[in-house]
Amino acid sequence: MSSVFIHSTYAVSPQLSFDTLLANPEQYKGERFSCKEPDYTKHIDPKLIRRMSRIIKMGTAAAMECLLAAQEKSPDAIVTGTAYGCLADTDQFLTRLVEFKEELLSPTAFIQSTHNTVGAQIALQLKCHKYNNTYVHRGASFEAAMLDALSLINEGDAEKVLVGGVDEIIEHSHAILRRFDLYKTDGSSETLIGNATPGTMVGEGAAFFLLDQNKQANAMAKLDAVQTFYKPTGAITALIESFLAGQEVYVNDIDLVITGHNGDVRHNGHYDHIARSLFANQPAITYKQYCGEYPTSSAFALWLASNILSTGKVPGNTAAASPKKILIYNNYKLNYPSVYLLSAC
Amino acid sequence: MENKQELILHLKEQIIKQLKLEDKKPEDIGDHAPLFVEGLGLDSIDALELIVLLQQEYNIKLRNAEEGQDVFRSVSTMADYILAHSS
Repeated sequence: MSSVFIHSTYAVSPQLSFDTLLANPEQYKGERFSCKEPDYTKHIDPKLIRRMSRIIKMGTAAAMECLLAAQEKSPDAIVTGTAYGCLADTDQFLTRLVEFKEELLSPTAFIQSTHNTVGAQIALQLKCHKYNNTYVHRGASFEAAMLDALSLINEGDAEKVLVGGVDEIIEHSHAILRRFDLYKTDGSSETLIGNATPGTMVGEGAAFFLLDQNKQANAMAKLDAVQTFYKPTGAITALIESFLAGQEVYVNDIDLVITGHNGDVRHNGHYDHIARSLFANQPAITYKQYCGEYPTSSAFALWLASNILSTGKVPGNTAAASPKKILIYNNYKLNYPSVYLLSAC
Repeated sequence: MENKQELILHLKEQIIKQLKLEDKKPEDIGDHAPLFVEGLGLDSIDALELIVLLQQEYNIKLRNAEEGQDVFRSVSTMADYILAHSS
């Protein structure tokens, strides 16, 4: 697959912006992160806002801001990845289903509870009747959306594709997931990475990207390749080496590695092993201290990498100055490894 | 059952809540102002929400869809319908 250009990107995340993240990242305590929501009236028709749940507003606002930055009004395709979908609407619909004994159900919550609502609302806002697809593949949802977007461009079906990853936390989902011993109860984003206790901090976010077949004047980065390996049987280091070889890139060519360390002692060994085995001499940073752990968090990592390549600034203390080539490695629940290779334009 | 004026005020509060018209107050909705297209600018999904509201809060089911056009013309017509069909 040939590379594409990331023309613009925007994220609604637990961080206010890339600039704020560099200077003074938002810090979180406890089990979870929470998105800093923008003034939605700037991005969404006020008549539509009242019906939208939080994740729909987050996703739509991220998509609109991304398109605005690229001055693009109608992409050739809209592709979305989400593991949990629109949980708040699903929660409301199912709660009423039980409370009202399967009668008197709110049509709005039902209509908006489907996973493809974010992509659909973006299309409605844009009046875009072109290709629109949503991928729901647990920890590889954003990767599936991204691979579809790249296929559309590579096969000549689209030149400009809006692609994004969205997931939210709601009270019910969090109450259920925390029973699985996934989260720290006394977590701190400042000390999350490298923490020697079980569990991580749960996060959420919406990040969108406008991919372009052609390099525009203000392109932020070049996305060279993406690959995901579901439950790989072989050594992951060999898979990453094979991925890099496929791009004719040597480890030493990589200026910065962004890893998905999430502060869970049960996962640290996996990421540490890869860092020691493959990237011992490469500067590395982590990203989940900014956004938390969630199935489509690699979209936040891609937003971060795009901004690093575009500005030359790297958050945190690292020896990487103005990196030109970045590798992102994430492995959600150690079942969904994915790698992204990006270059400066 | 409350009198019509009390019912109209109550209905306005319920409509604002059910339809998430967060930027509206009861006094912003005229008793006889049209609910759909002009006036509040409601649409077909809102009509379904109003049917649910009638059933849920007043235990009243519309007999047929055509009836909705007259019942949901304004808050005042909704109140008339509720008063006429309350047991």
